[in-house]
Amino acid sequence: MLELLLHSSMLSPLVAVIVASIVSSIVGSFTVLRGLSTLSAAITHSSFAGASIAVICGANPLLGALAMSLGFSGITAYVSQGNERKADVIIGMIFGFSTALAVLFLSIARTYTATAWSFIVGDVLGVSLIDLCTLIIVATVTLCIVALLYDEFKFITFDIEAAEAMGLRTSLYHYLMVALIALFSVVAIKVVGIILAIVLLIAPAAAAYEFSHNLEKMLLLSILIALVSGVTGFILSIFFNVATSALIGIMTSTAYLLSLLASPKRRKCKEFIKFRRRVVKEL
Amino acid sequence: MEVEGSMNPVVSVKNLSVAYEDKLALEDITFELKEQAFLSIIGPNGSGKTTLLKALLGMVRPVTGIIRILGYEVPSERYEVRKQIGYVPQRERIDPTKPVLVKDVVLMGRIAKKGWSRRLTEKDHDVARRALEMVEMNDFWDEPYAHLSGGQQQRVLIARALATEPKLLLLDEPLSGVDAATQDVILNVLREEADRGVTVIMVTHDLNPLIEVSDYVMLLNRTIIAMGRSRDILNEYLLSRTFMRRVSVIMAGEKIVISGADHHA
Ligand SMILES: Nc1ncnc2c1ncn2[C@@H]1O[C@H](COP(=O)(O)OP(=O)(O)OP(=O)(O)O)[C@@H](O)[C@H]1O
Ligand SMILES: [Mg+2]
Repeated sequence: MLELLLHSSMLSPLVAVIVASIVSSIVGSFTVLRGLSTLSAAITHSSFAGASIAVICGANPLLGALAMSLGFSGITAYVSQGNERKADVIIGMIFGFSTALAVLFLSIARTYTATAWSFIVGDVLGVSLIDLCTLIIVATVTLCIVALLYDEFKFITFDIEAAEAMGLRTSLYHYLMVALIALFSVVAIKVVGIILAIVLLIAPAAAAYEFSHNLEKMLLLSILIALVSGVTGFILSIFFNVATSALIGIMTSTAYLLSLLASPKRRKCKEFIKFRRRVVKEL
Repeated sequence: MEVEGSMNPVVSVKNLSVAYEDKLALEDITFELKEQAFLSIIGPNGSGKTTLLKALLGMVRPVTGIIRILGYEVPSERYEVRKQIGYVPQRERIDPTKPVLVKDVVLMGRIAKKGWSRRLTEKDHDVARRALEMVEMNDFWDEPYAHLSGGQQQRVLIARALATEPKLLLLDEPLSGVDAATQDVILNVLREEADRGVTVIMVTHDLNPLIEVSDYVMLLNRTIIAMGRSRDILNEYLLSRTFMRRVSVIMAGEKIVISGADHHA
């Protein structure tokens, strides 16, 4: 078993898991804080449609996923700016429409169902060198954008109304942030598949949120949680010879549940309630 | 150029109407602030106070009307205008559990005035620290924003607006839900800024604390009921029309006390 883990063919998958964990926790932190989880689920589904269409046309599925999810992210970013209720409906529609597209194309070409299945649940062990390069490029672009616009992202995450009022081009930053979610979905589709992409995006960031009072700490903690649960999930899946994406999904969700139990934010709240009960009794 | 600039009114609004969907929130608003001053806008809930601030910022599209601020046309030149503005939003609009420190919040005021992602410098930190000192919150520089009380959070938001070194300060209900001591701190700072040549426009529904500090008062309820020096317009007739309920004005020597307006309209 150990030899299997140390085998050179495991190197690319492991790097892919690490890259995906880092990207997911950074993009996920902004997604969680700005309440864009549903929107990001819709975008990952559109990347599935893009990948399926690309396979049928004989193109690189990751590029197809990239094109489609960027296109849809533009639309969702546009509608999510104004009326919130309308945005919610349109995001739901995009969800359904892109999945319908994917199913349609896959039903036309019956022979590709194995490939389609790999988009849905991921296929990290089948990562090719080209895939890996694509992932690393996408990750680098993401990190550069976040590093360059970090202060502006922090501002709109905290208070988008004042950011706009005081001169920031908030719609531009909003579009960029949603585009980052699209980039992430391209990374995720190969590593964990579209269904689990949302877990990888949300769980580490949401867990880190429970322990953080500043954004820098939340980002670092979220990277740590994603890396630990991603890599452990990967190793365990090799050990037990089961689906990697499943174990990564289970590990990250477990991390989130544990964080809820241990959360100092919630504990503080409990202590406060206890304290108040005591005071009331003493009175 | 310079002379002409100083002759331009700081704020000039003509026949402004704003609608949400098919309902008019503001109707035929016309007013002018010729020189730097402290203006308080007073009106009950839903009277269009926030909407008026948003219109000045170019954040809602007017149905009709012309707005000029600091020589710029709004909304067409809104980005130029916003660079000169310090804005304090209604505090309840911000989720206080977001993980940021007080210094992060105040430094946002500096970020807003930078061009394409230039880094914050030592000078930016100095300006931010001074802004926090002005509202007597300098001990909280490294504290999480989430750990502050409502009144302390309000002061931090004001420090953020001051840190932009604005020509025009727009504040949306900065006195709501804060105690008398904090109100004094806030009003003193705003008065000082106004005396230094910053135009201050503040929106509120509780008018007692600001009768003394503001140069002008506007009574707003979808349209302008009255605007002028506080002593001239704070009478029972105009206030009752603004708040659509009986409002009493009591003269206590030099002081005017208004009762009946600050309850829920
Ligand atoms: N985004 C919106 N969509 C539709 N109607 C709106 C919107 N914002 C405000 N309104 C309506 O416009 C009117 C004025 O609202 P505004 O928020 O300007 O009032 P306000 O004076 O600031 O009230 P408050 O004291 O409660 O803050 C209200 O009747 C409100 O219902
Ligand atoms: Mg308001």
